[in-house]
Amino acid sequence: MRVIEARSLTRRFAGNGVEPVNAVDDVTFDITAGSFTSIEGPSGSGKTTLLGLLAGLELPDAGSVRVLGHDLGRLSAAERARLRVRQIGIVFQSFGLIASLRVGDNVSLPLALAGMLQRERRMRSLAVLEEVGLGAAVDARIDELSGGERQRVGVARALVTDPTLILADEPTGSLDEANGSDVIRLLVEAVRRRGSSLVLVTHDPASASLADDRYQMRDGRLTHGASA
Amino acid sequence: MKLFRHTVHLVLREPRRSLAALIGVAIASALITSVLLFGTASGSTVTRRALADLRVDAQVVLEQGTSPSAAAATVAADPAVRSAMPFDLAHFDAATSTRNGSATQTSVGVLVGLDPGYSRSTGLFSLSSGVVKPGQIAISRDLASNLGVVPGDPIVFALPGGASATFVVSGIVSIAGADLILGPIDAAHRAAGANAPVNVAVMSLSDLETRVLSAIPPTAIASDPGAGGANPAGGVTPVFAVDPAVRRELHVQLDHAQLPGDPGAAQAWLDTVRRRVERVGAGSFRWVDDASASLEPLAKDLAWGQILFIFLALPGIALALALSRLVADATADSTRRHAALLRARGATAGDLRRVFVGATVLTAIGGAALGVAAGAGVGFALFGRDLVSAGLVSGLLRAGAIATVLTAVLATAAAFLPLRAQLREEIAMGRQELQRGRAPLWQRLFLDVIALLAGLMVYVLAGGSGIHPVLNAEGNPTVTLALTSFVAPLLFWSGGTLLLLRLVTAVVRRSRRLTAPLGRFLGPGGELAARSLAARLAAASRVIVVLALAVSFATSVLVFDATYRQQQRVDAQLTLGADLKAVPAEPATASAAGMLAGPGIAATTPFVDRVVYVGPEAQDLLAIDTATLPRVVPLADAFFSGSTAAGALDALRARPDAILVSAETARDYSIVPGDLIRIRVPDTNGNLKIVDFTMAWIALEFPTAPKDAFLVANLGYVSAQTGNDRISFLLARADGDLASASLAATRRLGSGWQVSDLGTTTARIANSITSVDLSGLVLLDVGFAILIAAVGVALFLLAGLAERRRELATLIAIGAEPRQVRASILGETLVVGVAGIVTGIATGALVGLTLLQILAGVFDPPADVPAFPIGLLAGMVVLIVVALGAALAVAMRALSRISVVGELRER
Repeated sequence: MRVIEARSLTRRFAGNGVEPVNAVDDVTFDITAGSFTSIEGPSGSGKTTLLGLLAGLELPDAGSVRVLGHDLGRLSAAERARLRVRQIGIVFQSFGLIASLRVGDNVSLPLALAGMLQRERRMRSLAVLEEVGLGAAVDARIDELSGGERQRVGVARALVTDPTLILADEPTGSLDEANGSDVIRLLVEAVRRRGSSLVLVTHDPASASLADDRYQMRDGRLTHGASA
Repeated sequence: MKLFRHTVHLVLREPRRSLAALIGVAIASALITSVLLFGTASGSTVTRRALADLRVDAQVVLEQGTSPSAAAATVAADPAVRSAMPFDLAHFDAATSTRNGSATQTSVGVLVGLDPGYSRSTGLFSLSSGVVKPGQIAISRDLASNLGVVPGDPIVFALPGGASATFVVSGIVSIAGADLILGPIDAAHRAAGANAPVNVAVMSLSDLETRVLSAIPPTAIASDPGAGGANPAGGVTPVFAVDPAVRRELHVQLDHAQLPGDPGAAQAWLDTVRRRVERVGAGSFRWVDDASASLEPLAKDLAWGQILFIFLALPGIALALALSRLVADATADSTRRHAALLRARGATAGDLRRVFVGATVLTAIGGAALGVAAGAGVGFALFGRDLVSAGLVSGLLRAGAIATVLTAVLATAAAFLPLRAQLREEIAMGRQELQRGRAPLWQRLFLDVIALLAGLMVYVLAGGSGIHPVLNAEGNPTVTLALTSFVAPLLFWSGGTLLLLRLVTAVVRRSRRLTAPLGRFLGPGGELAARSLAARLAAASRVIVVLALAVSFATSVLVFDATYRQQQRVDAQLTLGADLKAVPAEPATASAAGMLAGPGIAATTPFVDRVVYVGPEAQDLLAIDTATLPRVVPLADAFFSGSTAAGALDALRARPDAILVSAETARDYSIVPGDLIRIRVPDTNGNLKIVDFTMAWIALEFPTAPKDAFLVANLGYVSAQTGNDRISFLLARADGDLASASLAATRRLGSGWQVSDLGTTTARIANSITSVDLSGLVLLDVGFAILIAAVGVALFLLAGLAERRRELATLIAIGAEPRQVRASILGETLVVGVAGIVTGIATGALVGLTLLQILAGVFDPPADVPAFPIGLLAGMVVLIVVALGAALAVAMRALSRISVVGELRER
């Protein structure tokens, strides 16, 4: 079963007085359920833009993408948001944590957006925080955590709804090597336990090497296989 | 030079930062400019008001032997003169009337000779009844009352020099508004505030000339040279100056269209006209400038008035400057970014300070200039006609210069502190305000509490001081103002503002408690709003305080204005007696009240105002119908000493002979409630009859009563005791529109009655400052308060969006629906709006009360209960809510432009 079906995806940006650039250029690929896929490429190759299209944060200028059976181009912004909150978890390079919220509140945010009651939210966020080794930090402030701990909170938030698909955008980009490999290991193990699909965007070949399926991205074009 | 280039570069390269700063300063500058223009325009109103009741601008006194017609031709030839009418006046030493064999005599007075067209041109000496035929006279009500004469009775006037003249009374003439021309014209008498005669007889010019002037020797003087002036202690100041027995004059009316609006300029113009005419007259006459004398005290009044107007607008100006602080908050990110850029290029801390302060000064000057232009536009739109009359160009230049300098300096100072703090911060500093910093110096020193206590102390010590109206020599009310009366409101306002900031900060710190209620109301977006507010503690507190103060400012101005209008109405009601007053030309009885009743009139009551004698002293006896009076006239408890209004009326009802006496009479005659008072009251024939009364209470004020000595008794008792059932007038309460009621009353009563209403009386009794219509100032102040509220909240929301762009992008990325994100912005606006509006109305009402102290002396009686214009306050709240809606719409628009992927891409 395919969780993502991308067909001729194209996303174009117009620069200041320069010719429009295809950040994502005619990309076609499929991702199957329960798989771990990596997309490698240097900065500016269009990886984050592609991830944004897969998450329904942007719509393509051409082509189509079906995620978990939904044609994102046919969904409204609210429907795409509901799809994300219930079935897609996202991990960001810069953690994407809200500094005004405590650790537990950050993790339970998707549950709150989904309308879950406070008590149940707290139980589930505590459980997932324990899964990533931060059960004791549920009431801690974000600025009290180290970089690695912050990204583990980010992972916990992506996992808290038990999503079918997890999109991770350079999750180790802001971490040192040791913390980075810890986070990747944690993420992959958690995804495997849940049977979810993971799409990892990275420029780190070591992280990418853990994937079942590897893609390369250059100048907006996607090619299958590991880098040479 | 290089730094200046960087400064200009900063202003141009950060257009949003510059524009936001520009708007804040421009609002302050526009408010100052328009308030100053209001002050300038009010000069015209004050000048117009001072001259409105002046029917004759100048009295040209002819020297002996001067031909009146030649002098009239000389005077009328001046381009500023509209008309010059002959007017002759002769004093008499006594007037005697003999009826049924008994003679009644009154003391001094004047005989006046008029042209037939004089009354029509000036509105003076209009006949209340009868006509004046050759050989006959119309007399003043006082003379008729003093002599007890009616039309057809003869009066013998004893003239200076020993001769006498006899005339038959053919009518009653009103001498209202003629004090200045009937009274002495020499400077000594006028300076002493000499009283004008009330015993006045009017006849034709030819009768006066042939039968009176010819009988008075040219050297004769009035037998009342000591016609003293009232001094502040209530006594009489003798004046040792000769008042000639005969005055031959020309009464001049000037073309007021040529008169400048500014009182000072108007006086200069009048002086020019006087010199011009006197030069042509070559000593054949003397110009007595009544108009100039009326304007004399206005320049000072106006200066005080302008201080008052600026004071009323001061909170608005402070608020507008506070926007500079919000602008600094809203543009902090841009400041840090640009500072980092300059640091990277090698700028030192000193360079950065100079560049950013330079940019602040540049935008402040630009904003101030922009505000002057906007303020001039607003001022011209609201008070264009008065501005032109008061001197548009000079007014604009003055207001523009003051507003530019003041706002540029203050706005720079207001923006400097946050700017210095931002430049000190590390570039990579977190955007959140989680750190618990030390409280500001003013909080640690408790300056808020100290200012409030000091304000309270000044309020108590200076209690009762404020504006005090006094009558000047020309009989115009003028004002003096105590500076201390401004101190208490100023301290209350500044202390209250700081206290509000302290309290709001403490409450917002606990705004996490709002998470659950806002979550229930707005869903997850509401919870986010509560958390976001707690995270932006300082900024949230500041915007709530700015909004609260804007609402408070608008509320206090509205309460002040409503109370001001309420007191104007009360003052007019006291003077007129009720909504409507109908005075009969011929004798009428209480039954006439039935004629007045009907559609448009809610209630009527008969009223008697008779001159009676308490010992040797003449006083006004007000005889009332206690059954109908309360339905017509609102009686305040403050009118009575030792009793309520209802209690005083009950006392009158309980005893037919009960009488309320003024405080002055009670003091002078050492009488207390229960004492017997014997009063001489005129009967139908004018003969004085002794009537016994029993003192009930002290009345401090009473509708229609003069301020000093008066008495209030039962109409039925006075009529029965004197056999005199004539009433002086009817009072009525309008049912709905005043003008329609006045028309209905005139129609029902016929031409034999003179009907006046409250509307015309309000304008007539206004003094120099209260003659200024505050509605323009109120409109300005409330309009700017709403604008400041909208801009303040918009800046807060936009600053929040700027700080939280990545946070909001994250929210959207993890699945927040657009409505949930909007709900978080809406939640913040709701909390800020509700907190600001509720605290603003509460503090505004309190500030409004302290402001009333400033005008405590303007109205008599002073306002004991402030007026709360519920409709206007509700309207103001609706407008503020609409303004917040507009601010929200601006924020929503900015929200919709956030690129989620762009924000999440690591930069």
